[in-house]
Amino acid sequence: MQAFLQYLFSGLTNGAIYAIIAIGFSMLYNATELINFAHGEFVMLGALTLVTFWGVFGLPLPVAFLLTIIAVSLVGLLLERLAIRTVSRPHPIVLVIITVGASIFLRGVAMIVWGKDARSLPPFIDLPPIQLGGATFLAQSVWILVIALLLAVGIHLFYRKTLTGKAMQATAINKRAAWLTGIPSERMVLLAFVMSAGLGGIAGMIIAPVTMCSYDMGTILGLKGFCAAMLGGIGSLWGAVIGGFLLGIVEAMGVGFISSALKDAIAFILLLLILYIRPGGIFGAASTQRF
Amino acid sequence: MKQFFRRTASYTLFFLAVLTVGLLVENPYYLQLFTFIGINTLLALGLNMLMGYAGQISLGHAAFYGIGAYTTAILTVHYSLSPWLSLPCALGLAAAVAFVVGLPTLKLSGYYLGMGTLGFGMIGYIIFREWSSLTGGSSGFVGIPPLELGPVSFFSGRNYFFLVWATVLLIIILCRRLIKSRTGRALRAIHDSENAARAVGVNTMHLKLQVFVFSAAVAALAGFLYAHFISFISPGSFDFLASVRMVTMVVIGGMASIWGALLGAALLTLLPEWLHTFSEFEMIVYGLIMMVVMIFLPRGLTRGILDIYEHARKRTSPAED
Amino acid sequence: MNTPENEHPLLRIENVSRTFGGVKALTDVSFGVAPGIVLGLIGPNGAGKTTLFNVITGAYRPTRGQVVFSDKPIHGRRIHDIVGLGIARTFQNVELFESMTAVENVMVGLHVRTRNGFWGAVIRTPGFHKEEKATREKAMELLDIVGLAEHADRPGSDLPFGWQRLLEIARALASDPKLLLLDEPAAGLNAVETRHLGELLDRIRNRGVTLMLVEHDMSLTMKVSDRIVVLDQGRMIARGTPREVQSDPAVMAAYLGQ
Repeated sequence: MQAFLQYLFSGLTNGAIYAIIAIGFSMLYNATELINFAHGEFVMLGALTLVTFWGVFGLPLPVAFLLTIIAVSLVGLLLERLAIRTVSRPHPIVLVIITVGASIFLRGVAMIVWGKDARSLPPFIDLPPIQLGGATFLAQSVWILVIALLLAVGIHLFYRKTLTGKAMQATAINKRAAWLTGIPSERMVLLAFVMSAGLGGIAGMIIAPVTMCSYDMGTILGLKGFCAAMLGGIGSLWGAVIGGFLLGIVEAMGVGFISSALKDAIAFILLLLILYIRPGGIFGAASTQRF
Repeated sequence: MKQFFRRTASYTLFFLAVLTVGLLVENPYYLQLFTFIGINTLLALGLNMLMGYAGQISLGHAAFYGIGAYTTAILTVHYSLSPWLSLPCALGLAAAVAFVVGLPTLKLSGYYLGMGTLGFGMIGYIIFREWSSLTGGSSGFVGIPPLELGPVSFFSGRNYFFLVWATVLLIIILCRRLIKSRTGRALRAIHDSENAARAVGVNTMHLKLQVFVFSAAVAALAGFLYAHFISFISPGSFDFLASVRMVTMVVIGGMASIWGALLGAALLTLLPEWLHTFSEFEMIVYGLIMMVVMIFLPRGLTRGILDIYEHARKRTSPAED
Repeated sequence: MNTPENEHPLLRIENVSRTFGGVKALTDVSFGVAPGIVLGLIGPNGAGKTTLFNVITGAYRPTRGQVVFSDKPIHGRRIHDIVGLGIARTFQNVELFESMTAVENVMVGLHVRTRNGFWGAVIRTPGFHKEEKATREKAMELLDIVGLAEHADRPGSDLPFGWQRLLEIARALASDPKLLLLDEPAAGLNAVETRHLGELLDRIRNRGVTLMLVEHDMSLTMKVSDRIVVLDQGRMIARGTPREVQSDPAVMAAYLGQ
């Protein structure tokens, strides 16, 4: 029971991270039908930028947090403007290669700026770990869970309550029709890019204290976040959240009860299972793209 | 007749180029580089059949490359099997895995197919990395024996170069024959319109599976040649990036073109070598080149250059057909 | 009930219904198609004509009812098997294989009537060459029938639209169908092309192919069809000879709106 709780806590923590990354994927896919393979690099940039602003420059945490979000969102903006929009005939395979190119590029930049050594950060607020049923729950994990849920609710409200959010969803449903009704779909795409990059950055920042941050941390996180998005049904906000937590928990249980060698494989095994059984994801349409 | 002449000419040219390089290049480093180009050409050729002709994407083909390499490594080292016996095992295993994986995966299309193959590729990579008792884990697998055929040893760079390029020639002929046949026409039909292909009676699932298995076997063949060439393999050579590199070779060269596959393979093999001069800026430049080429020549180099040529020609002589 | 299609029909549609979600695209449609005739399938937009074609060719499964071809039930069978049994079709918006020449398009059409496989292609057996040669000859013959033989080596997508329609018909004929379904073959054709199409349909019919035709060009439909079936909102509202149907009050109501 104690072990189970411990795995559950660690699963929830990782799951929250996957959920935030998955929301970023989903948001972008919604607006552009693009899978951004550079998304994981936003996570890495978020973590390392926070290391610099907070850990090295010693800025107050909220300021460093805000500056990091701005910086990472800016990278997202540049990526959309310089690389994605300029493609003359966007074939999906071509876009995949461009975003993978961007991911290698960003990793290369990070390696020069921050070097090859891994860095770490102290928890946001230094509190003793919480003991619950014999299992330990890190204070930073509370931060992670709270921020993840706040983000999910915030984006839900953004989609439901604001005109921009509604417009973005309309663009997702039908680009041409949205354009005809006067919604500037190009700006919606850009906004989706910026927001999804910002989300990636936040994910990176909040895990910085519980993981080793280095220039190559983003790829696997990005791929797993992507698995989480597919699991829940790509394009669905709450699907991404559930997918993220599900992946985190299954992964933690698999590592705990079966073998740690499985750790990275679980995400992809789940991905294949969902594609074969219900390609639209748990919350997506059952028959998407499959005949 | 004209076609026959052109085909003979291109084969002769290819043959002469291989012969010239193989006989005149003395520097072992260059010989090794050209051998790698050959191995990568095999990868691109196989994937090109799947992507360029049948129009199905795979983001996990490095797993088949790895299956070829690891199967022969394990059989020849742990079980002291002759490499010539491990070759059919490697190809057979890759083909069998491709069949089992392809059966459910190829029902998907578009991005979902990309994702399914990505997931499979990652699982393959993780198995190579984690099953250390068999594969040596992340530190790699050492001591894979060189190839020998009776008195001929393929240990020397030159012999191996010829072995690899003879294989490339064989696979080129094979692909050509396949494309110019009932099967090849049906594959291209699937690429152009899967709907119409089905409506004229093509069993699209069956054919997609067939070409998937074929391309997996070709990738495994490349893996076999790779393992016995450098005698050391590690999971890093078969990760997600390796799969993307294969896709990039096909796309940069120009899809549905055999010579394009060769060009793409050559470029992606040589590029990292040239980029060594950039030392730590290597990754930046590599990523940039990938992006820039795709942004400006989304149909690949051969098509891109051909388009520019056509454009110029049409402008000078608008009446010509 | 002594209409010819009831005597020994080539194709029987029996109580076929098809719904999409809650939308009823076809409701309880039944009729037969006698061998050798031209059957015109008409009705206002959204009447379910193309859906019926998709049900017959196996692209859709009927929600209820059955489709019987040459006394064999075919609903639920795979599309390529149905083509093999002898049903071919063309599309409303011509769907050619755009990277291929005209003759290659027709050669793909011969797919179900040829046997060469992977190994034959790789080893280039004598049988392979023989069949390949026969395939090309047969394809040329079919191009000749539709009048495109001299354009055999042009890319199919380069042909003028009217010829693309003809090419698609040649491709469909290549599978040697007993029944050929044509979805609006005259759409986008000019008057001369439409007349040629009418003549071509006669020639195809004289080769013993039964035709089913969805067409909005009424003068063409009435001229070439032996029997007409009228669909409206997924239901069959009339059938009979062109003359009978034209004077049917239900048909007039459907077309004129009430």
